Amino acid sequence: MKSYPYYPGCTLYSKAKNLDRSARLVASRLGIELKEMPSWNCCGAIYNTAVDDLAAQVGPLRNLAKASKEGEKLVTLCAACYNVLKRAHNRLLTATESERNRLLDFLDEPFGGAIEVVHFLEVLKKEIGWEGLKSLVKKPLTGIKVASYYGCLMVRPRDVLNFDSPENPRVMDDMVSAIGAEPVDFQFKTECCGGYLVVNRRTIAVQASRRVLDNARNSGAEIIVTTCPLCQYNLDIAEAQSGRTGPTGVVTLYFTQLLGISLGLEENELGFEDNKLDPVPFLREKGLL
Amino acid sequence: MAEKEEVFTVKTGARHPDLEQIEELSGQRIIDCYQCGCCTSGCPIGDWMDIPPSKAIRLLQLGQVDEVLASEGIWLCASCLVCGTRCPRNVDYARVAEACRVIILRRKKSMVDPDTVTDADLQDVPQQAFIAAFRKFSV
Ligand code: SF4
Ligand code: SF4
Repeated sequence: MKSYPYYPGCTLYSKAKNLDRSARLVASRLGIELKEMPSWNCCGAIYNTAVDDLAAQVGPLRNLAKASKEGEKLVTLCAACYNVLKRAHNRLLTATESERNRLLDFLDEPFGGAIEVVHFLEVLKKEIGWEGLKSLVKKPLTGIKVASYYGCLMVRPRDVLNFDSPENPRVMDDMVSAIGAEPVDFQFKTECCGGYLVVNRRTIAVQASRRVLDNARNSGAEIIVTTCPLCQYNLDIAEAQSGRTGPTGVVTLYFTQLLGISLGLEENELGFEDNKLDPVPFLREKGLL
Repeated sequence: MAEKEEVFTVKTGARHPDLEQIEELSGQRIIDCYQCGCCTSGCPIGDWMDIPPSKAIRLLQLGQVDEVLASEGIWLCASCLVCGTRCPRNVDYARVAEACRVIILRRKKSMVDPDTVTDADLQDVPQQAFIAAFRKFSV
């Protein structure tokens, strides 16, 4: 079994335990061990861009320094952790000498930057491959229309993340095809859900999420998949306020929950009770559970 | 020969002191923007902003820095990075808005007070949202 150091991050330890758990189980079905790295700390949840704000980079860089002792690649699941860790890494690699020295002064150990931050989707694509994934599917999701929602954090800034196209990414859509479902093309796949504005400007976040939901739904989606706990939350509260219920609505799952269904994991292993809106009745009606 | 009529006066000299800092902190050249409006049309939050991205940049170009610093728009940016990704002139407005906020935050003015978060929200909203909001909006 191939093993990777894995960075769960704060949200996957609390509100998004279901993303963590479903991912670990999916990974082990695929012959991959996600080995939690030792003594990690919060990545900071958002990248600070002020040129002189080196202090904000210390937290994420500490994680990377520790992870570099565990392996060559550090696997992330949360879109925000992926974004912040990768950008902090890039900040170190592109720093001036004096900036680099100041940053390294704050780390507990020497760190040359030898680590690559990757997302679990990239591991899936490169290690297992879409044909490989297809061959492991126990329950093909034939006829289910799935919109892959990437949001902001997986794809921007393009030049640093190099994950996929910032306007029309395909990675998750390819995953959806591999498990037998039908990927839905929709214009808002990289539109913002309103993000952290939900904390202090909730109505704006809900309206921004509503646009994403409606666009996916009007394009025929029955299920939306995401990699981000905040997108999952914002889309669910927007759906809850839409007044729609049951099969006329659309449910938002973590991509690992959908993968889990197709790989034959049990309902109680996928943590649906932690989704803000209960997707189980819908999934039962579609014969997915 | 007739005297030349003075049509306009070009004022040279002192720029608004905060403008230097905005350019420095953001690493962006405000003058590069040619007002195509791509940033504003793609901004998911632009509809709610009093001063949306391209207008803020134009005001900065004209030296009306105080108007931008006093606007609500800079506090509504969700850091989605659409503006900079689509800008044909390579101006990253998200960084400009962040520089404006940082100038205000460093004067010890918080826009979000962590103490005002309700218990109900604490139980409900994902951690990453709180940490991000406090990082962007409080001292
Ligand atoms: S997209 Fe760029 S050039 Fe166009 S208005 Fe915005 S900042 Fe200016
Ligand atoms: S980064 Fe901010 S200003 Fe730019 S498009 Fe997104 S929300 Fe609008």
